[in-house]
Amino acid sequence: MLLSRTAPALALVIACAASPSRADERSARRLFVSDHAAPVVSAMDAATGEKLGSFDLKSPAGLYTSDSGRTVFAVQRDGNVVSAISTGISVDDHGDHGDIEVEAPKLLDADVTGKKPVHFVDHHGEIALFFDDEGIARIVSEKAVLDGRPSAREIRTASPHHGVAIAFGSHTLMTEPHPEKPVEELPVGINVLDSSGARVGDLHECPDLHGEATSGNITAIACAKGLLIAKSDKNSPRIDFLAYPDSLPEGKSTTLAGGRGLQYFLGNFGPSAVVLIDPEAEDAFRLIELPARRVHFAVDPVRPKFAYVFTEDGRLHQVDVLAGTIAQSLSLTEPYSMDGHWSDPRPRIAVGGDSIFVTDPLKSTIHVVDAASFAKARDIPVDGKPFNIVAVGGSGETH
Amino acid sequence: MNRKFRIAALLGAATLMSATALPASAAELKVVASFSIIGDFAQNVGGDRIELTTLVGPDGDAHVYEPKPADAVAMAGADVVLVNGLQFEGFLQRLVDASATKASIVELAKGVETIKMQEEHHEGEEEASEEAHHHHGDIDPHAFQSVPNAEIYVKNIADAFCAADAGGCQTYQANAMAYTAKLKALDEEVKAAVASIPADKRTIITSHDAFGYFAHQYGVAFLAPEGISTEAEASAADVAALIRQVRDDKASAIFVENVTNPRLVEQIAAETGLKVGGTLFSDALSDESGPASTYIDMMRSNIATIRGAILGS
Ligand SMILES: [Zn+2]
Repeated sequence: MLLSRTAPALALVIACAASPSRADERSARRLFVSDHAAPVVSAMDAATGEKLGSFDLKSPAGLYTSDSGRTVFAVQRDGNVVSAISTGISVDDHGDHGDIEVEAPKLLDADVTGKKPVHFVDHHGEIALFFDDEGIARIVSEKAVLDGRPSAREIRTASPHHGVAIAFGSHTLMTEPHPEKPVEELPVGINVLDSSGARVGDLHECPDLHGEATSGNITAIACAKGLLIAKSDKNSPRIDFLAYPDSLPEGKSTTLAGGRGLQYFLGNFGPSAVVLIDPEAEDAFRLIELPARRVHFAVDPVRPKFAYVFTEDGRLHQVDVLAGTIAQSLSLTEPYSMDGHWSDPRPRIAVGGDSIFVTDPLKSTIHVVDAASFAKARDIPVDGKPFNIVAVGGSGETH
Repeated sequence: MNRKFRIAALLGAATLMSATALPASAAELKVVASFSIIGDFAQNVGGDRIELTTLVGPDGDAHVYEPKPADAVAMAGADVVLVNGLQFEGFLQRLVDASATKASIVELAKGVETIKMQEEHHEGEEEASEEAHHHHGDIDPHAFQSVPNAEIYVKNIADAFCAADAGGCQTYQANAMAYTAKLKALDEEVKAAVASIPADKRTIITSHDAFGYFAHQYGVAFLAPEGISTEAEASAADVAALIRQVRDDKASAIFVENVTNPRLVEQIAAETGLKVGGTLFSDALSDESGPASTYIDMMRSNIATIRGAILGS
């Protein structure tokens, strides 16, 4: 992917002036933002804040972008549906250059319905959605979704539960519900299912299973006492258990983010720390204490050295993934206390291009931070309570 | 600035002079090697003057390696980074970016007469299906599979070490010369081993096209379902074409590789009745306990395995 520091219009002018015979260089970046209370997703230009579209949903949504950045999925827990929105931007990397195609964003005719969808996992373009109140995973390919013919593959489990599925090549990793209290308790492990749905090998035990991510060649799944580490192997996935070492304080991860560009994981750990995890290193876990309770965190997909954490004191912290320390902190919002309900409106982070975007739901604002200088760049005013946010886009040549 | 120099500067000029007269302490030069074969070359040239970090270890596949934060830390602190080049290390640019390293990145294949990936047109096969995963005309990066090329790598390493650590240059040159003499003997050894295989038996099958330079230098033909990178998977048509070639008696033996999934090769073996003749070390050394923990042992092990399988069949 070719990254440009220049605003899109300017980049176009320079490209044309410098080499009129070459294809035009263009960059496009978009934000998709859901509201905390209203059933709507807004699309806007990340550089100008210009509104590009607004899409009505059944309920407020959690937002996820596919790894390709071509699709945004709006998971409507209370609306019992997952909607898909074409971001309108596709970037094809050809090694020496990238091609970009830009269209208007649009709601796709590709709803996947079911009771209480929560967890979303994209693994190499196969999207696994888990519907808690049915205990069913529905798996669709992003390609089929974009083509408007999302025929979902269904995989059932023994009971409704707060589960997750991961499409893992020709296999599926699927949660095993708690045997006595499937609805109240978290899952107890992972089953590897083959393409016919038959279980391969034994249950991989993982009490209190919650949180998963993929980075590089590794998928990590968080359990009470450590992580399951899944990799592809000769005939079926290989899964090992990586225990939390005694050197870590009491606690566990329940949310994981996977590094992009570098293979590592960032997880929460207790209320006011994060943990950097390199499953293949001798010291796999590096704990980073935060100055206040943690609200949200995200990895930087463009600058692999960095990740970001927002804390309840209203500050955004830049984590140096190499050093395992907080490199810089920046005051952005009024305090957002972690007292109260976990789902109260609080800031969320997205990273795209040269910027870090942080929603400020109680001020109807998106704060934009310049990633290079880690200084506040500008604010984008929005309606309502901007909550979940994803950033997509890139740059390349148009043909 | 390394610690020793800082201390020397504090003690003043007189002490500094006597300090430089002392034999060099170990690990003056921090060297990162991208994968195990280069790591072995670097150790042979650098001896105890270098502190070596090898990123992709024994039996690791550099084509699909995913760099880790610790690799970026090693890169950031390195004086010299040794890589193969020719786009062998797909992870390299990401690591250079993430580490912001100021070390010189030395491409060891520089000066090698490169060869393009062999054009494989399987009879009766549709061009489109092949085009989808082979990049015809790409340069084969596995130059180290020919021993004369390894000599070029070694010379490039000595030059890079001399440029970064002039005080050790004589040592590096002497080490390189001694090691090169061993490589020349190895080259003769491999040639002699190939000569003992009947000419019409010198076609074999491996997992991916890692042996183009070996083929070119020593006159053994290799067929493989996967291309010059392990990243793209072989198509069913490629596998079917290979099976036809084996049935036409064009291949004498089939081998798994230490860095790739053996499934495809085992499938071809099962369908043709050809017995898997052992493991070839393609893009990585074995660990200490294996038969190929150094480059010289790797080349010896590979030719012994090939010869054994063909003559034993
Ligand atoms: Zn290779």
